Amino acid sequence: MKYCKTCHVHYDTTLEHCMLCNGELESDGYVQETYKFSECEKRKASRFFHRLFIFLNIVSILITLYIDYSDGLPLTWSLVVSITNLYAVVMFVLLAVPTMWTSKLTKSVIVTIGMVILIGLAIRDHQWALDYVLPFAIMSNILLITLLIFINRKKWFDHFSSLIIITFLGLVPGLLNLLNVTEVTWPSVACFSYALVTLLGIIFLPSKASREEFRRRFHV
Amino acid sequence: MSKLFHIRPKSCIIKGDIHNIVCHPKVMSMKKQKYWYKLDNAGKIFPAVSQDERSNVFRLSFYLDETIDSTILEEAVNKVLPRFETFAVQLKNGLFWNYFASNTKHFEVEIEPPQVCKYFKAYKNHGYLFKVYYLDNKVTLETFHAISDGTGAMHFLRSIVFNYYRIRGFKLDHEGKILSEKPYSKKESEDNFVSNYDKAKRRNLKEEKAYHIEGERFSNHWVLMLKARVDTKSLLTLVKTKYQCTVTQFVTAMLAHAIYKESVDFTGNKKPLKIFIPVNLRPYFDSVTLRNFSLYIKGTYDAKRTDWTFENMLELTKEQFKDQLDKDKLQSRISSLVGFEKNVFIRVLPLVLKTVAFKIGYNILGESISSCSISNLGVVDLPQGLESKILDADFVNAGYGIAMTLISLKSHTNIIFSSPLKDLSIMNHMVQFLVSEGLDVTLDTNYKEGYDEIL
Repeated sequence: MKYCKTCHVHYDTTLEHCMLCNGELESDGYVQETYKFSECEKRKASRFFHRLFIFLNIVSILITLYIDYSDGLPLTWSLVVSITNLYAVVMFVLLAVPTMWTSKLTKSVIVTIGMVILIGLAIRDHQWALDYVLPFAIMSNILLITLLIFINRKKWFDHFSSLIIITFLGLVPGLLNLLNVTEVTWPSVACFSYALVTLLGIIFLPSKASREEFRRRFHV
Repeated sequence: MSKLFHIRPKSCIIKGDIHNIVCHPKVMSMKKQKYWYKLDNAGKIFPAVSQDERSNVFRLSFYLDETIDSTILEEAVNKVLPRFETFAVQLKNGLFWNYFASNTKHFEVEIEPPQVCKYFKAYKNHGYLFKVYYLDNKVTLETFHAISDGTGAMHFLRSIVFNYYRIRGFKLDHEGKILSEKPYSKKESEDNFVSNYDKAKRRNLKEEKAYHIEGERFSNHWVLMLKARVDTKSLLTLVKTKYQCTVTQFVTAMLAHAIYKESVDFTGNKKPLKIFIPVNLRPYFDSVTLRNFSLYIKGTYDAKRTDWTFENMLELTKEQFKDQLDKDKLQSRISSLVGFEKNVFIRVLPLVLKTVAFKIGYNILGESISSCSISNLGVVDLPQGLESKILDADFVNAGYGIAMTLISLKSHTNIIFSSPLKDLSIMNHMVQFLVSEGLDVTLDTNYKEGYDEIL
């Protein structure tokens, strides 16, 4: 045990100097003091490259918008570049956050659909995005999660929120079709029907356990 | 030293599912394997507002009489975990609220990190909201405050260590003090905030902003821990005979006086010093829950006064404690807090929006109403056989500012200061005060020479 004769306190640690007065500690030599914690090491600035990536994308957006704007014509190609830059940043953040990969996949699909539609709007031709990309992306995501649930039925509730979100989103192409926003009908109707059947399946088919899961997820 | 009575049984854990463990049949037959809970009132805000610099994690450690065998420790944790329903959970997102769902994954212990009360992501911890660390002869349980408070976590840690020694082959009698050896009771998982809610007793809770101790912080969210060990009997004699108060009242006044003396911008400040002290509500409401069931009372000291002494601060502390530690007043505050979450507009707000609102609200109000905190866990009550094997105990509640915790084991009490600030003057003042009162103080710290250069 060590002792500080200035502060009149004992020390049960490996310090050589008193924390309170910085005076040298005296050791009685009988008890070997130990440091009872993990050693602290200098940490590297691990987030530097994350910040650099985001910074470079923002710079890219500003430069392309400026060059395109300085032509004096309406913005076109720069919007595509900016949307892609923005998409890269959002995807980077989304993938960096630790969540379940089904949740990451669903979010990625939603962000990608959004990006594709925005690019469509930027090039003044968004029908292909709404008519084909939106319904097919949603249908494939619903199919994938449904398959996952069937493969690993024990843990089906881990994928429940992803399935619910993407299924509700699957109703959107049908509504867009009703409002005459889409031009090609069959993919939207197919997506709407598939989402509706899945939703009804979630509500009516499952067991007591899945109704309980509903209760948990929607408790107010 | 106890004798080794049994050879350690072969591991009964099948990795991947803690419910494969052969447990006490009486205990397991009473419990459901699938369950879920709503978060309790105190825990609702923590998932939204926790981050690296505000982990809302607290630490309990036991120093054993031998070097820890991590394999046995992991086995012990997985053995007791199914019994502790409120710890064997994972946080899930609902549409309107978070909730806890049962978690049956295998739990893994880890070597203790350098940072005390480190923020952790449950996703990287098999969904569990607590961590069990080992280092030499120390077992540490760090718990995210959303699942439990100090009392609940202490039950869990005692059970882990008791079972650790059992697996090691020691024959120990639990003397009715180890929860894992008793049958499960549903009361342990009860939300006692809701069960003690009385609509008629609600009142408007208004808090003024508090003085904040500012200063340079350690880097990497490192928190300094300084443990002052004193003899419990001497401490009790001092507070009972000289000051006629309780230990908590004494240390609250001591902290208030140290801040008054050492903070240059305190005197004349518009905001008062407010020390928050969590009160264990279980004895007041006949509760045995392992979930959060504590409420803050506070010591408030006017910064405009210039004639503060330790004695008049202590007198004021005693009055404030007496006034606030009243069952009706406590129930009134419980009702007000629960009443807020029962508000229909709050309830129907989607979780995404609630999370944003909690974050904004907490940043504006949460930390601004408290200057610092003191938490006294009291005496660690252990069965005789186990007590001889536990040399020391730590209780750390590393908050945003200075925090103080107390824990007593055997004949000594540890007064632990934790601070993210580099300024030691307040701690220094308190240690000097204890010495001047004739107490024999032994210090221990997680600080090391050379840390100035890296932190």
